[in-house]
Amino acid sequence: MQLNYFLLLAAALFCIGIYGLVTSRNAVRVLMSVELLLNAVNLNFLAFANYLDPADIKGQVFAVFVITVAAAEAAVGLAIVLAIYRNRDTIDMERFNLLKW
Amino acid sequence: MLSWFLESVWLIPLYPLVGTVVAALWFPGIIRRTGPRPAGYINALMTLVALGHTLLAFVALGGREPLGYSLPWLQVAGLDLSLPLLVSPVSLAAMAVIFGVNFLAQVYAFGYLEMDWGWARFFSLLAFFEVGMSALVLCDSLFFSYMILEVLTLGTYLLVGFWLNQPLVVTGARDAFLTKRVGDLLLLMGVLSLWPLSHTWNFTELAQWATQRDTLAYAEAHPQVFFLLGLALLAGPLGKCAQFPFHLWLDEAMEGPLPATILRNAVVVLTGSWVLVKLTPILALSPGVMGVTVGVGVATALGAALIAIAQICVKRTLSYPVSAYLGLVFVAVGTGHPQTALLMMLTYAVAMGLPVMAAGNVLWNSITQDVRLLGGLAARRPVTLLCWSVGIAGVVAVPPLGGFWSWLQLVTDLAEQSPGLVAVVLLVNGLLTFGLVRVVCLIFGNRPQPMSERSPELHWPFILPMTVLAGMVLHVPHLLAVTGLLPAWQRDWGLLLTLSTLSGASLAALVYLSPGIPKPVRLPVASLQDLLAYDLYTPKIYRLTVVGLVDLVSRISDVLDRYLVDGLVNLVGVVTVFGGETLKYSTSGKFQWYLFTILVGMALVVGLAVMTFLN
Repeated sequence: MQLNYFLLLAAALFCIGIYGLVTSRNAVRVLMSVELLLNAVNLNFLAFANYLDPADIKGQVFAVFVITVAAAEAAVGLAIVLAIYRNRDTIDMERFNLLKW
Repeated sequence: MLSWFLESVWLIPLYPLVGTVVAALWFPGIIRRTGPRPAGYINALMTLVALGHTLLAFVALGGREPLGYSLPWLQVAGLDLSLPLLVSPVSLAAMAVIFGVNFLAQVYAFGYLEMDWGWARFFSLLAFFEVGMSALVLCDSLFFSYMILEVLTLGTYLLVGFWLNQPLVVTGARDAFLTKRVGDLLLLMGVLSLWPLSHTWNFTELAQWATQRDTLAYAEAHPQVFFLLGLALLAGPLGKCAQFPFHLWLDEAMEGPLPATILRNAVVVLTGSWVLVKLTPILALSPGVMGVTVGVGVATALGAALIAIAQICVKRTLSYPVSAYLGLVFVAVGTGHPQTALLMMLTYAVAMGLPVMAAGNVLWNSITQDVRLLGGLAARRPVTLLCWSVGIAGVVAVPPLGGFWSWLQLVTDLAEQSPGLVAVVLLVNGLLTFGLVRVVCLIFGNRPQPMSERSPELHWPFILPMTVLAGMVLHVPHLLAVTGLLPAWQRDWGLLLTLSTLSGASLAALVYLSPGIPKPVRLPVASLQDLLAYDLYTPKIYRLTVVGLVDLVSRISDVLDRYLVDGLVNLVGVVTVFGGETLKYSTSGKFQWYLFTILVGMALVVGLAVMTFLN
């Protein structure tokens, strides 16, 4: 096993997340894509901590923080989605284009 | 005491200037209650004062050498513009004529403008002309002469445009200004291009410069320079003197008030020939220019004399002879006889006002200006008829009178150079006589027409100046004899001139007084009669050539300005607005679109960075 493969896998996961983030019409699926992005980032941290910093493993500490913040962010994100849903009765991203030109 | 009048000659143009300014007080908008008459009285008084000063200065000068003054005006780097004044017997005599005719015209205007409220404007402008003309004859500098000519052009515009609620007056004033202005502008070109050659604008110094050997050699080596220079200098007098092809304005200027016409026909048109006479030494440097001067003079003399015969408006039958006579002045200058030209101008200026005054007498209470509608006034208007006849006799060659002597001098001068020109002069004299006598016959002869059925003689403001002027005309030969200007008597030429006058006059009397010839007279060739009656269709020629061209060019440049220049600048603005209007749609309002653009931007930056690193 090499560092490169982990990084490539994380990059692939990040790209999948980006794709989902830009193309999803469901707001919850956008949040899920954000989770994919964060997980890709965590994968990078863990891989770097394992291969480059096995003594101090600062990457793992970072990953713990990212998981924590991601959970909080997901909670706030879902709350926002819920707030929008209560007003507009939909979570379709295509319908949230009120702030244009 | 007398010498004071000579030393203060420069004051003379200031007297009428005072009149110009003071008369303006009686504008109907300023002094509202008491009427405009004092404006006229003050101006006549100022003219009289100026005339008295001039005559006393004349006496004081006696037979002495001309006096020269120089008043500093402007000194800038390398250019010293001072106003030189030359007090010579000629300039004093010219001023005496100017003020004399002016005074008579002003008294005449008291009567003529009896029922007009515009005395302040009229007399102010009349005095303005006095200022300009007396300053012109005093000043001895081409540059200041040009300035005065321009000022007088403006004066003509305002004076012809006196009754500005009449549409023909407005167009006439426009043409008078523009035509004379074009001539003046060409003159300015000449004035400016003369400076690097001569380094002086002083007429006296110019005359000296033109006869220097260096100048003559230079003129021989560069004939084109002096030809073009001479043409430009000629153009100013050409416009001022209403010569072909700048003659239409004088016809249309007859729309102005008649007392001003007296002045214009007698004196104002002479301002151009005055400058022309003073420029003779420079014009003489180019034989081509002298030829052009003679050619223009001959063409105008013949053409205008013929046109005058075909006119039906009394005022216009008296305006074309002005052009014709000045054409002969041009001929005199063009053949190198400036002294003859001055003599012609003197006798003409005194005499020409008289027919105009007499015509005004008839017009004032006969209303119509159409000679076909007038007739049979001889018995009831004897004084007017007499004065009119004296005026005509003073202009054309009738033996003892002043005009005869200047014609005789002209013919004598030309006889040595060209018999053809003598024939032209004799012919012009005959034609002028025919045209002038024709009008008198039509108005005073035959039976009264409805318009002239009741036509009393007028009151003193008309008759007094007219008879005084007639007396002056009758005394011109005596004055010439006293001052030693009378030309030598030449029997053959004298008889020939008298014969041409007699044949013109008797032919006119025959045609227009005999009941055998039907009136109105029709020529066998109707188109020729129309051609002359419509002044060779000059308005059409102007409109087709110069006016048409300028109009077209200005329209094109207007379109270019409006659409091309403005359009290009406006295009920049329109493109900017259009850019803003379309680019705002990049703000789509969709969160995911923003994310996408951020990512694309990042990808591009990273891609560029990677590319640079790899290279």
